[in-house]
Amino acid sequence: MSVSGETRIGRNYVEGLRQKFPAAVIDEAWQTADQVTVTVQLGSLPEVVEWLYYDQGGWLSVLFGNDERPLNGNFAVYYVLSMEGLVKSWVVVRALVDPIAQEFPSVTPRVPAAVWGEREVFDMYGLRPIGIPDERRLVLPDDWPEGLHPLRKDSMGYRDRPAPTTDTETYKFINDSKGSTTDVPLGPLHITSDEPGHFRLFVDGEDIIDADYRMFYVHRGMEKLAETRMGYDEVTFLSDRVCGICGFTHSVAYTTSVENALGIKAPPRAQAIRSVFLEVERLHSHLLNLGLASHFVGFDTGFMQFFRVREKSMTMAELLTGARKTYGVNLIGGVRRDILKDQRTATIKLCGELRTEVAALVDMLLETPNLAQRTAGIGRLDPKVARDYSPVGPLVRASGFKRDIRADHAYAAYPGLPMEVHTADGCDVLSRVLIRAKEFFDSINMIEYALANMPEGPILIEGFDYQPHRFALGFAEAPRGEDIHWSMTGDNQKLYRWRCRAPTYANWPPLRYMLRGNTVSDAPLIVASIDPCYSCTDRVTLVDVRKQKSTTVAYKEFERYGRERKSSPLK
Amino acid sequence: MFKLFKTILKAGEATTKYPFAPFPVSPGFRGKPELDPTQCISCGACTIACPANALSMGTDAQAGTRTWELFLGRCIFCGRCEEVCPTHALALTPEFELAVGRREDLFQRATFKLEPCAECGQPFASHKEVDYALALLVQSGLPAEEAEAQRTHLATCPACKRKQNLADPSKVALGPYINKGML
Repeated sequence: MSVSGETRIGRNYVEGLRQKFPAAVIDEAWQTADQVTVTVQLGSLPEVVEWLYYDQGGWLSVLFGNDERPLNGNFAVYYVLSMEGLVKSWVVVRALVDPIAQEFPSVTPRVPAAVWGEREVFDMYGLRPIGIPDERRLVLPDDWPEGLHPLRKDSMGYRDRPAPTTDTETYKFINDSKGSTTDVPLGPLHITSDEPGHFRLFVDGEDIIDADYRMFYVHRGMEKLAETRMGYDEVTFLSDRVCGICGFTHSVAYTTSVENALGIKAPPRAQAIRSVFLEVERLHSHLLNLGLASHFVGFDTGFMQFFRVREKSMTMAELLTGARKTYGVNLIGGVRRDILKDQRTATIKLCGELRTEVAALVDMLLETPNLAQRTAGIGRLDPKVARDYSPVGPLVRASGFKRDIRADHAYAAYPGLPMEVHTADGCDVLSRVLIRAKEFFDSINMIEYALANMPEGPILIEGFDYQPHRFALGFAEAPRGEDIHWSMTGDNQKLYRWRCRAPTYANWPPLRYMLRGNTVSDAPLIVASIDPCYSCTDRVTLVDVRKQKSTTVAYKEFERYGRERKSSPLK
Repeated sequence: MFKLFKTILKAGEATTKYPFAPFPVSPGFRGKPELDPTQCISCGACTIACPANALSMGTDAQAGTRTWELFLGRCIFCGRCEEVCPTHALALTPEFELAVGRREDLFQRATFKLEPCAECGQPFASHKEVDYALALLVQSGLPAEEAEAQRTHLATCPACKRKQNLADPSKVALGPYINKGML
């Protein structure tokens, strides 16, 4: 889409770049009024990203590689910065990587937030980030053959599975502690969310000195699947299934990315409907997390009550979309299902009930002495660490940053909805719980307001032209942070590249710093406080640094200890 | 503490009697897709629309049949099939109790007879699809006898039609081009 010069939001960043790094900027291309892709010299990539990040109020939303050899002979890396300084816009820094050298200068030493993304670029494309402090694999398993990089266009089909190269786990967990510690493996499934992830806690007695973890045990290869097997319109339904909780947010992010790339504007009524469904999703997700918060401080009655009330938000989803989860409502250019009068009346009634019932439950939870005792000052995310790692959602808001994509880059119908970005300065588990509780009531208000002020008109645009090799960003604020999708259309009605980043991806790297200095019994709480979204483990390994001894603790036992804090499994 | 007890008391019994009593779902709930084979013309639109590849269409040229197949194990209940079906043969039902003991029970099939080409005898489209095309002509105002006269033409496979048209230019169907003002 061509964007005329005057309406471009974020011109100042590009002009600033041209002034500060006159030799670096090669090209700029505008995808929408507030999205610009700036191609820079490979050598100045770290400086450019650092300047935008720290000097101009940017946050690193996602970074990814792309195999553009069939298009221009090179690989490319893209660093997506959400500019949240004076002017709110998106700046994507792109650099071409030589197909022979296959190297690029790492940004991680200057901007730590880039670490996971650069490790993934190496796994998926074999492009080596020079100077990255952590060169381990991120996504690929230990038994994956060296030199096979699945997202390269010439590497493999989505169905192929290479033969395993090793039977043993070769992954090295990083331990930065000075003294000796004990290893506490927590995993392969997480304790709160019952999803796979391997945590290694390095403890001295009861204190966590350092922690490392490994995810991607259930990497589903969705990006490869979307690029090779599915049509671009069918990917909408695949994106619905990225997450079992915030799937609709992903499908909104995906459809807007394609809409932005092709210059399609979904009708206002469709936008309003999207906003309503997004908030319905937030309702049930926040209630789930509030329930789990109760559970983990030993207030199981609260857990039961939250889950009982949560059922009303599930009914609301079923009523409005025809399914409790995976709404399947989005299409490129709008939505498939209108909200009719009966549904509206029933939803507004449910909203009222939810408001009173949850208000009572939240009061009760806050009055429970356990809550403050167990969560205040626990799992501190230092604002400095938060600034360095670009976490998202209630996690970053609880550390004092006013980041919410619904406000910063308002999409769907959010510009016209009554909302407030809640922040807290506690930086701890308690603040995150409180922010979720506040957001819950905001969501109810927004649903009611949107239903009362629904614009008239069509809900779906039809008859647009598909153009290959267009790309743009799409985004949506999920209950646990922003979902960012970057789509590039390709030949044959298929995506050339789809990068989908779920919010928890951005929240894992700083977790290590949140665990440090807490006790083992706090670990499940801290992990749960980021409301993680992955598949979980039922065991934990504890490593005693002093005794050089490793213990594996059954999940039930670890969870029990987290709640009762009696008879430590370490003794 | 007292408030908590009051809440619990007020909540009463939250569990339902399911599976001993039916579990109601909201109107418009998207459950198992159901095919009405009498309406289906086996055009295959649903198999193209299905994002999950749960629907497929297989042709057995030897037997002269075409089989529509739904594999519920893949179905994501999105309802795209329902949207694209030209004859409303396929619709989602509120049915959600789909667990089965054997994998084979997750398949549903409907077999349709193919129409042999009037010229070469090779099956090319389903019998019902040809009927449907004729019915559409009648519906749009063509007298029934004239439509019936077109049957042989409609029941000819595209390859044979092309050959026929080569031999006799007067048989070339120019209608659509004239309507669009392209000639």
